[in-house]
Amino acid sequence: MMIQKITLTNFRNYQKQTLTLGSGIHFIIGANGAGKTNLLEALYVLSLAKSYKVEDADLIRYTCDFAKIQASVASQNRQIDLSLIITEIGKKALLNDHEIKRLSDYIGNLHIVSFLPEDMSLIKGSPGDRRYYFDVFLSQIDKNYLEMLTTYKYTLRQRNELLKKLSAEPKPDTTLLDVLTEQLAFHAQQVMARRDEFVKEINDVLNSAYKRLAHKNEMMSMTYCPSIEATDTTAFLKSKYHQDLVARITNYGPHRDDYDFYLDDRLARNHASQGEQRTMILSLIMALGDLIYQIKKERPVFLLDDVFSELDSERQNRLLEYLTTANLQAIVTTTSVQEIKETIIKKAKIFRVTNGYIKEEY
Amino acid sequence: MIYPEALEELISEFMKYPGIGRKTAERYALYTVNHFDQEALDRFSQALSAIKSRIGRCRICGHLTETDPCAICQDPNRDKSVIMVVESPKDVFTIEKSNKFRGIYHVLHGALSPLDGLGPDELNLASLWPRIQQSEVKELIIATSATQEGEATAMYIQRVVKNMDLLLTRIGYGVPVGTNLEYADEKTLSKAIENRRSF
Ligand SMILES: Nc1ncnc2c1ncn2[C@@H]1O[C@H](COP(=O)(O)OP(=O)(O)O)[C@@H](O)[C@H]1O
Ligand SMILES: [Mg+2]
Ligand SMILES: [Zn+2]
Repeated sequence: MMIQKITLTNFRNYQKQTLTLGSGIHFIIGANGAGKTNLLEALYVLSLAKSYKVEDADLIRYTCDFAKIQASVASQNRQIDLSLIITEIGKKALLNDHEIKRLSDYIGNLHIVSFLPEDMSLIKGSPGDRRYYFDVFLSQIDKNYLEMLTTYKYTLRQRNELLKKLSAEPKPDTTLLDVLTEQLAFHAQQVMARRDEFVKEINDVLNSAYKRLAHKNEMMSMTYCPSIEATDTTAFLKSKYHQDLVARITNYGPHRDDYDFYLDDRLARNHASQGEQRTMILSLIMALGDLIYQIKKERPVFLLDDVFSELDSERQNRLLEYLTTANLQAIVTTTSVQEIKETIIKKAKIFRVTNGYIKEEY
Repeated sequence: MIYPEALEELISEFMKYPGIGRKTAERYALYTVNHFDQEALDRFSQALSAIKSRIGRCRICGHLTETDPCAICQDPNRDKSVIMVVESPKDVFTIEKSNKFRGIYHVLHGALSPLDGLGPDELNLASLWPRIQQSEVKELIIATSATQEGEATAMYIQRVVKNMDLLLTRIGYGVPVGTNLEYADEKTLSKAIENRRSF
């Protein structure tokens, strides 16, 4: 998958900016605050119809009343135009100039795998960060997953609201709670099954990605830690009514799931150093790219923000070698390209950013 | 203010309708002034002010009606052994247009949704239970929408009536998931009614 051209209008600190991109590595070089992250965020938002950190309105350039991101994207069998228009009161997504109403019909047209500074918390941060990251990934490759997850979350809100109401009653009638519990269990099972399958799939490619980047003999793996391990999800949830009514919230389910990372049998959450974490996360990102390639027969666009700090120059160059794989497109921000091999620089496109203005260097 | 006060007042009345924003309301208000004579306006305002006193809920099925019971409940040619449960009066109008259903209805006026403050007590459910205990009732068709709320409502009713001597069926067939009944066209709807499955 290849973004051929991207135009930003009133997005963050960009007033009007068009870039022509190709295959291979694109270095976005600039000082702090120049707008490097903003460019990657624009591509992320175009792919997923929302940002990873802020409300839509924050994406609009100060004093403007809308922001627009447009791109022409080529994939193996078709050429598409995507645009996303964001205003204070809402957003509009267009695919080839036709408005798309359902999120699940929009997401998945432009596959991305991203590493943003926030993602450093993937290993030691909260379970919610990990769930969010992998939910975003699965939503891109599996439309059913996104729909199932959306319905799950909605049913969960209904059930939590009902728990609040019932907890105030001396002798609550649980007929409706039974119904919502069965609905919730149905969707929970589908979400959990897909997450479980995903972890199996990723483990098939994760260790070789780690070896490629770290050049070490340790084995990297990932496990899925579902909040509900019982085989009968409905019966399990029904056995927790008392606890749920006291807490006035649903205590178990995919919204409490987690994932763990290991180097050999060491739990990375407890043991990994900053440098090891970065290597693991970048290995994971390469593995996610490989997995998309297996499923979709096409590589995602890699968005890598400030990946080089805390990574020795050998690993930097190994990562960059990977990004020069045929038909792969990567957009990589950095403050400098000094430590990068001449052979890689020669093949790459280089863009300088200053103050919301990008210029290609030839 | 750009518009004279009288027009402004009319505009804000039109804006109370769902889906009508300021621009449309302005167009309606100007159209009213330009194209309606006094006689037409009197008819309009009479129809409007009388609507609540002329229309009420049928005491049997809950449908909106001018007579109580409603024309459907009073019609001797309707099959009183089959009751179809729907979320809204709009659904009754849609199904009646399809001309495929000869039974009678029960209108819930909503679907179970704790987030919207709608529990069993807030819906028109209390009058359903005695209705279906009458011996002439043989089948209950649940035609709530295929949304999370519609499904929850269908499952709830199933729970309550499961031990009664009654054929319980569900339509949803042909109605795409996440679609409210009112968006289903008449053809899919009649197909859905024919293909109802027992539940
Ligand atoms: N909505 C906005 N409108 C205009 N400028 C913005 C907006 N949001 C952020 N900025 C500006 O963008 C700059 C940060 O850009 P960023 O991409 O994070 O820089 P970096 O190159 O360090 O990654 C800051 O100067 C900030 O003021
Ligand atoms: Mg940055
Ligand atoms: Zn009636």
